[in-house]
Amino acid sequence: MSTLNVRVAAIEQVTPLVKHFTLMREDGQHFPTFSGGSHVVVAMDINGRTHRNAYSLMGSPDDTEAYHISVRRQEHSRGGSVFMHDNVVEGSQLQITMPVNLFSLSKMGRKHILIAGGIGITPFMSQLHDIQRNGYNYELHYAFRSLEHGAFSDQLKARCGNHAHIYVDRLGQKLDLRELLGSQPLGTHVYVCGPSSMVTAVLETARELGWPENHIHSEQFTAPPMGDAFTVQLAKSKTEITVPNDITLLEALETAGVNPDSLCRGGACGRCELDVLELDGEIFHHDHYLSDAEKASNRKIMPCVSRARCTHMLLDI
Amino acid sequence: MGCLAFKKETFRDDYTYRNSPEAIHRFPFPFPEDKYMYSVNIEPHVSIKPGSVFEFPFDIDEHYVAECQDKAITLAKDPGRYAVLPHMMDAQWDVLELIMESLSRDYPDQFKLTKDGNRWTWHNLPLGIQDTFTFGDRSTMAMDPFEYIGRQTQGDFVLLDQREGTLFADAGCITSQADWSLAFDVGMSWHQWHAPVPRATEIGVMDRALKFMMNLQLGSPVRRLNWTMTINPRLDTSPENYPQWGTDRNTVTPENAGDKIHLRVELQTLFRLPRSNGIVFSIRCYLISLNELATYPRWAKRFHRILRELHPDLIEYKGLTKFHQIAVDWLARFDDGAALEIGTQPE
Amino acid sequence: MERGYRIRSKPNYETLMWREKASAQVVVAKGAGGLAVLQLFQQMYPTQPVTVFYVRGNGSDTDHSATLARVVGDAIKLFDSETDALYAFYRSLPDFRMGTRFYVSGTESFMWSLCKLAKLFDIQESEIMMELSNSLARPVYCVHCKGTTPDVTTNIATCSKCSRKLFVRDHFSRHLGAYMGLMVDAENPGEVPEIEEIYP
Repeated sequence: MSTLNVRVAAIEQVTPLVKHFTLMREDGQHFPTFSGGSHVVVAMDINGRTHRNAYSLMGSPDDTEAYHISVRRQEHSRGGSVFMHDNVVEGSQLQITMPVNLFSLSKMGRKHILIAGGIGITPFMSQLHDIQRNGYNYELHYAFRSLEHGAFSDQLKARCGNHAHIYVDRLGQKLDLRELLGSQPLGTHVYVCGPSSMVTAVLETARELGWPENHIHSEQFTAPPMGDAFTVQLAKSKTEITVPNDITLLEALETAGVNPDSLCRGGACGRCELDVLELDGEIFHHDHYLSDAEKASNRKIMPCVSRARCTHMLLDI
Repeated sequence: MGCLAFKKETFRDDYTYRNSPEAIHRFPFPFPEDKYMYSVNIEPHVSIKPGSVFEFPFDIDEHYVAECQDKAITLAKDPGRYAVLPHMMDAQWDVLELIMESLSRDYPDQFKLTKDGNRWTWHNLPLGIQDTFTFGDRSTMAMDPFEYIGRQTQGDFVLLDQREGTLFADAGCITSQADWSLAFDVGMSWHQWHAPVPRATEIGVMDRALKFMMNLQLGSPVRRLNWTMTINPRLDTSPENYPQWGTDRNTVTPENAGDKIHLRVELQTLFRLPRSNGIVFSIRCYLISLNELATYPRWAKRFHRILRELHPDLIEYKGLTKFHQIAVDWLARFDDGAALEIGTQPE
Repeated sequence: MERGYRIRSKPNYETLMWREKASAQVVVAKGAGGLAVLQLFQQMYPTQPVTVFYVRGNGSDTDHSATLARVVGDAIKLFDSETDALYAFYRSLPDFRMGTRFYVSGTESFMWSLCKLAKLFDIQESEIMMELSNSLARPVYCVHCKGTTPDVTTNIATCSKCSRKLFVRDHFSRHLGAYMGLMVDAENPGEVPEIEEIYP
């Protein structure tokens, strides 16, 4: 996988919980252009262990001098966001992947409805550049907890004018999904990024109203859940490894020197998919990639987010 | 590559196309083993071996000028060989940028690109073209950016749009295809487009290839080789013109087989495009006659075994039925039956 | 040239069934395709608003307009020509909201003409349920002269534009709404295999 060495050029505290990082290339070169909705995976060295988190690129895709990401501090997670907030300073060095887009705009669409909750606003920040450059018809619906948590809301109001609709939970402002999704002209696409309750509500409402699947888009990076330790056997490497409670199967494989392909590390892209040859327990699938049938078959696992309870699981790697 | 000398030759009518000894030596012979099976066989498109066809992202060789001229003839006779759906404009600029930047970096004596902000000047010395335009502004070009750059690069190009969990062939500039029709196929999804490949769907090759391509990363292009055989060094073996070249297959005899039968190798490369999140699929065709191939007996010997063992479905699919046996017999003289080491090297 | 492997580009047609999750139902049919619509209405009358566009059958194409008018009632719009019906359908699209479900039945060329119009509103083929009416006759696109010959029932057809004998492949182009026809005797002029009716 090609990676880029970057330096943190600036840090801005956007809200009490959100920091905006400006990244520039170490070698002084320009970044590649990217498409709205892309993300990069940032590698951090935390106590000798490499930790990787995906963050959406927020800047203009045409700005190749710097990349911009925003990180919300997640207290009860495995530490990536806390590290970004507490340990990364201006001048810090990080490694990022090339941009990957799992949340792109449908170019066939006649109208685009963007629905963001909290930090879920970030992929739309770059998508809006593409939307405005191409002159697409759109609406932005952005919901957050309270005024102090509305990252970039003033900037968005200025950029989008009456295309932007803001909902502040604390002020009792609510987005009526049925009303919104029930009144859209043919050819509309809806995109949602935010907390899982919001994503689920949008998906369910749209399906209930009869929206076809290919007009419904969501992005949700799952922070890998923790769980109990378990042990797996590796068929090709002819070895056995134990996955501790606080690291993922993918990370455990990498620590053992086995390096499956991987990309988003959030259960979305499918790149790290592994075949399960034998299993005597159950898999906890946390990904958004495998179909329900594949999950039920227990023949596949996405090691970036999924775990197992078993005494024997033979993986084809 | 300052010494690139471009040949005057034709790919139709009198067929004066020939390979120089250097071109034969760098021919991308596709068979590392004695047996051929259809497979995905994708590898990273990274630079290897200076002078080889894999040195640069886009290979320019001694046939460049003649091939661009042949392309212009084909497009003039049938404008349908270029097609693009309206939502592909970002991808068009992406591919123009990719090719112009690659060629001007890798062949600085032949191609020059200067940028003054969005104002770009492109200078193609071999074809005597110089144009200034505004990147991203279609109105500043005489034709679509994709057609413009497609006409100035060897090989065929398909632009793929990624949506609905698959890839759609939503644009193409196709003048040297092996039996598929852009006018018919444009807008098709990956599986519809590949529908006619025998035995491939059965073994899930196409599903795996699609999954792989959907995950193709910016800055990490990939390549594979594919092959077929063509009678006469003809680039335009399109279904559209089948009535013109179909009868050529009847003209092969044991006496003229060395001249007439050509191994046709496609260097297929795939690049993720930055602005559009699309993919450009480049299909570059290399032709070599059996006579030229047999300059290196190792290749003739290997090719003999490949053809002799080829599955009957593939013989039919690749359109070899009429001359397959003649080719096998012609090549047999180079095959002493001794074991051949794995690898595609000529010697 | 390849001949007739199992081909995935050939569309799979279905039997029309109401989709329960919908905000409106739009049904379009022509001639014999009216039977599929009658069967649709036997399932139950949907709770959402329904609009039916129907082209009356003429000649060999069965006409179901009288029965349909009775079953569907005011929601039916009747047309004598395919062009008028398709135009009325297209003109009505701005009035419908996301969640509208689409159903079509008729000949292949009729259904794909409709898909082409729908695509202008970003309604993709996966969003349209299609049932082929009784004839399997194929529209055949001549890859050489680019003409399309309608209602081909045989394995080999004579191109209506350039008169070449075309082998009818299973390869189907959605945007042309036709199967590929490839000159059958290009390699051996005059050698045309026996012509059989296989798409009655």
